[in-house]
Amino acid sequence: MDIVTYEILRNGLYATAREMKIAMMRTAGSPIVHSGGDASAAVFDAECQLVAQGNDIPTMLGSAVISTKASVDAIGRDRLRPGDVIISNDAYLGGGNHQPDIQFTRPVFVEGEIVAFVMTRGHWTDIGGQAPGSYTCMTWDIFAEGIRIPPVLLYRDETPVQDVLTLIVQNTRETEVRMLDIQAQYAGCFVGDRRIASMVRKYGKDALKQAMARALDHSERLMREAIRAIPDGVYEAEDRLEPVAGPPGWPTAEIPLKVRIIKQGDGIHFDYAGTGSQTRGGINCPFSVTCNSTWFTVKAITDVSIPINQGCYRPVSIAAPEGSIVNARFPASVVAGNTETSPRIIDMLLRALAPAVPKRVVGQSNGGANSGVFGGMDPDEARVARTRRRYVGTVEPHAGGMGARADKDGVNGVRVYVGNAGSTAVEITEQTTPLLVQEWSLVPDSGGAGEYRGGLTSRRVYRVGYEEATYTVCGERGIHPPLGQFGGLAGSMFHSEVRRGDGSVAKVPAKGSVEIVTKGDVVVLQPPGSGGYGDPHRRDRARLLEDLRDGYVTGAALSDYGLSPAEAEALLAEAAHG
Amino acid sequence: MDNRNRQGEARIGIDVGGTFTDVVLIDGADRVHTVKVPTTPADRVQGAVAGFQAVLRVADVKAEKVTFIGHGSTMATNMVVEGTGARTALVTTKGFRDVLELRRISRHDRADLYDLLFDNPRPLVRRRDRFEVTERLNWRGEVETPLEITELAQIADAIARTDIAAVAVCFLHAFLNPAHERQAAEFLAERLPGRFVTTSTEVNPEIGEYERTSTTVMNAMLGPVCARYIERLGGALQEKGFRGELAFMQSNGGLAAPAQVAARPVMLLESGPAGGVSAALRLGEGSGIGDVILGDMGGTTFDVSLIREGRPELRTSSLLHSYTVRAPTIDIDSIGAGGGSIAWIDAGGGVRIGPRSAGADPGPACYGRGGTRPTVTDCNLVLGYIDPDTFLEGSFRLDLEAARRAIATDIAEPLRLTVEEAARTVRAVANALMAQAMRLMTVERGYDPREFAYLCYGGAGPVHAIDLARELEMRHVVVPPVPGLFSALGMVVADRQTDRQAAVERELDSLPAAELDAMYAALERPLHEEFGGIPPKLRRRLDCRYAGQPDAISIDFPAEGHAGIRAAFEVAHQRHWNFTKPDQTVLVNNIRAEARAGTGWRGALRQHHPAEAPAPWKRRRLVLQDGPQELPVWRRRDLPPGFALQGPAVIEEQSSCIVLGAGDTARVDEHFNLVVEL
Repeated sequence: MDIVTYEILRNGLYATAREMKIAMMRTAGSPIVHSGGDASAAVFDAECQLVAQGNDIPTMLGSAVISTKASVDAIGRDRLRPGDVIISNDAYLGGGNHQPDIQFTRPVFVEGEIVAFVMTRGHWTDIGGQAPGSYTCMTWDIFAEGIRIPPVLLYRDETPVQDVLTLIVQNTRETEVRMLDIQAQYAGCFVGDRRIASMVRKYGKDALKQAMARALDHSERLMREAIRAIPDGVYEAEDRLEPVAGPPGWPTAEIPLKVRIIKQGDGIHFDYAGTGSQTRGGINCPFSVTCNSTWFTVKAITDVSIPINQGCYRPVSIAAPEGSIVNARFPASVVAGNTETSPRIIDMLLRALAPAVPKRVVGQSNGGANSGVFGGMDPDEARVARTRRRYVGTVEPHAGGMGARADKDGVNGVRVYVGNAGSTAVEITEQTTPLLVQEWSLVPDSGGAGEYRGGLTSRRVYRVGYEEATYTVCGERGIHPPLGQFGGLAGSMFHSEVRRGDGSVAKVPAKGSVEIVTKGDVVVLQPPGSGGYGDPHRRDRARLLEDLRDGYVTGAALSDYGLSPAEAEALLAEAAHG
Repeated sequence: MDNRNRQGEARIGIDVGGTFTDVVLIDGADRVHTVKVPTTPADRVQGAVAGFQAVLRVADVKAEKVTFIGHGSTMATNMVVEGTGARTALVTTKGFRDVLELRRISRHDRADLYDLLFDNPRPLVRRRDRFEVTERLNWRGEVETPLEITELAQIADAIARTDIAAVAVCFLHAFLNPAHERQAAEFLAERLPGRFVTTSTEVNPEIGEYERTSTTVMNAMLGPVCARYIERLGGALQEKGFRGELAFMQSNGGLAAPAQVAARPVMLLESGPAGGVSAALRLGEGSGIGDVILGDMGGTTFDVSLIREGRPELRTSSLLHSYTVRAPTIDIDSIGAGGGSIAWIDAGGGVRIGPRSAGADPGPACYGRGGTRPTVTDCNLVLGYIDPDTFLEGSFRLDLEAARRAIATDIAEPLRLTVEEAARTVRAVANALMAQAMRLMTVERGYDPREFAYLCYGGAGPVHAIDLARELEMRHVVVPPVPGLFSALGMVVADRQTDRQAAVERELDSLPAAELDAMYAALERPLHEEFGGIPPKLRRRLDCRYAGQPDAISIDFPAEGHAGIRAAFEVAHQRHWNFTKPDQTVLVNNIRAEARAGTGWRGALRQHHPAEAPAPWKRRRLVLQDGPQELPVWRRRDLPPGFALQGPAVIEEQSSCIVLGAGDTARVDEHFNLVVEL
């Protein structure tokens, strides 16, 4: 095929994915989709290989490589007809990443033949289960996390399969919003179908087929070239995950994470043998999450400008022991595997690969969402009159530090790695929930020292206005701090506490326990910081001086940078004058 | 002021871009004169004054006869991008000095989420210059903790010891109650004479502490520098004999007096692109084209914006270099596909364009100034879309061989293509990127591109216009007069405009119509005085949202009055999000007042010397999508109003050209537009 047609079709496929996402965001009911953008769209070839995706949420797109094929296989290609849409969310029955992310898959037919598949995925703000928001780690099994939807037909001949639809919607808490989410994801798939069909009309089936094959080969070739540049060898690392802090009787042992990476020629193999068994509570990873964490890392350490599609993953093979925390089996619960365990896997992989690609790795980071969840009755009549909500739940992601890089500092207070949902304005939080934010600030010295300093984390301090409410967190690194690279020091750990009116202080673990808080209590939530990069003694004095002046670093940390008390005093004096 | 020039008088538009300063003059006989002079980055006033003098020479008009100069500049934008604004302090509520750096915690430019080596934008104010003061309002705007003046005195002393030139004051919930901010600003202004002090209540009284702080801080950091520039430009023009009025183009597409923009320089941020949209609006008024997609293809970017039902699509919040600015702004999407964008091949053999650009220096390879990388312009030249001999009236000869060499080395040889095939590929990729930007601009806002006409400008705009319109199944392409200096034309024809807003944050149902009306009246009162006695046309708008939603939608205040607000909001909500919630509380966030005085030039541009019987003046070989063809070439300046011609043909003018396909018809309308029917 000529290169002009190829470039037009290739660009058209990426544009299609973007347009599908727009159609979905414009029509969704879940605020996390229409304003937060926690949604994704992609185009697949007739063999279910991902050929184009938008600049969306990495964790949704990587796992769709597995879930799309699972959806099509479950229904059976021969049973599919034009106007069909398959719905699925289940980690075990449909290759999903976690239950709140719902996938719609649609075959694109032209003249009776499937020429492509398109998929949309959105985070529904509720899918039932044991707690509002369907977002808690303290679950016994996957059924507690909400409705399990195996791949089933939700639309036939462009018409909803009413019984299935009713059954699903009635198993979630906000039925009206769910109807809108469903219409939105259908609209996204519909637009994708139309756009691809019109490309086929203009350029022909064969041209589309060839363009798709060529796009995959093209990215594969780029990726193989990039991998070839990594020195051959075996690279290993291990780490330990903390268990969910459940009631007595729940497991308390830490869970080992382990990887052995074999890089040879233009291929790379990841073996997770030695990783601990799946555990109780929602921190397990379905295989799709582990694949996505691995693929994300490979993309990040090679060349981010390679057009992303499944061709990028062809040189990558992955082995994860069945029944382990990185390849969980029924009935393990999984909700935070996707948001909190996944970044820990990435941190470990970056640590393993550091000797091979020292300039591409970063100090360990807070990659998690550290969602703080409150739920209770709002006692403020004025606010209730406006919001019309008496029972007020809130789920808020919080930012930590991004680790230092080989030639620059880390980033303060930001979401990194596989998720990117943003936070709500403090002024809106106070208008809509009985919480007063006393402080939202960067935490000095929370970034690990190094030639380049780790990014600082943030601290949020709430004063509770509920008469009584539950408070829980899904976070990470309450026991193990984010480590530095090449001599860089660790950043600060996760910290949360409740200061009660009677002067007592209760420490809240990173995941698990549910605290009851009452009016006037003060809640502190501080995600982990991040690790430094390189020997802190080699930190440029001018940079250190600037950090002191800006209060990113205080006198207390100067010994980490190898300053004697006298030197520290002199530097502090200089910082004060300037 | 009249809307036309008296005999012998003239009006001028000066648009200072990154590379060229464009100047347009309309004389007393409605004829248009243009010059392009180099921008002088070290002191942009020099280039602007040089352009002013040059256009007077070309048009043979004396400086004293110029009644009006409209001015736009990329200066404010450059200051934000380059971080060269004044050193600024932020004074904010205790506990919140890091809001400016934490933002909304996500990487909201979403540049590439797989990139671990990304640079986070530098905070607009360094942390050491961010001061906290004890004070607090609650969510209803009531004082929870009084303002501590003693702390403020210490802050003032600390600032006085530095070279900080501007101070932004932004307190939590201040949009509901400006008392603390005002008190603090008055105190600081008194203690810090000569420093630019600004409050969030003046600049952007609206919910959302990060967005409001960012906007206020940007206003502060631009303040001192813009004030100096405004004063110096006025002085320099006066020195050269100018006695008329000087006005500045704002992001909202309207002009404002020097004193107004000096106080709110944040309104200058999109002044360049806004000029083009203003010009298009004026053309639209005359030619009756209501729905238009505008495409401005310059040296480094392709900018897309929309006019619907004769009004520009506006946004109230935008991202500039990943910083949030909340001010009424023409809604523009920009992609890195301009004439100077460099084409390259990645390791896997794919053709890519940009984001690197050859800019003006060295410029495309064909400029012969040492550029060796192939650009989109080089490809257009090789394919015959641009004539090397007549570019800029032959004043600037293009080096065809240099273009061929660059394409051969970087594209054709690695891909084993001929130079022409390679150039065609690059052009096709550029077209695909631009068409995609146009499609997204419309579908994202709930519109169908096929229902729009395409108006193209910028030097390279017309060169791609027909292909883009065809790709999007659009029926009409409009090439306006002076497409290469269109923004400068907009600065002559634009009206005066001022926007004001106030926070309401009330439930619609509990907000009596009379109270809302009184709020508007209070907002509008000062606007009556802003245009030197010319009564402005007022337009009321308001921002509403359903309780629980994070983002509001701006709507016009309905003709039916208060009772029609809910329905008008729900129509807009349906269009944006495709659903409504009839049982949900509607909140009124903000009210907005737009005052416009119809001061801009209005008339039909006249041609200098149209030919009596126009004919092609030569034939030229072009390599089109389906192969080489020899086409007749027409000069645009020969074509009188009412004249029509059939494609295939080339119509060329000073800084651009358009290529009609077989079956396309081009007609010159009475406003000097070239209207192509596909």
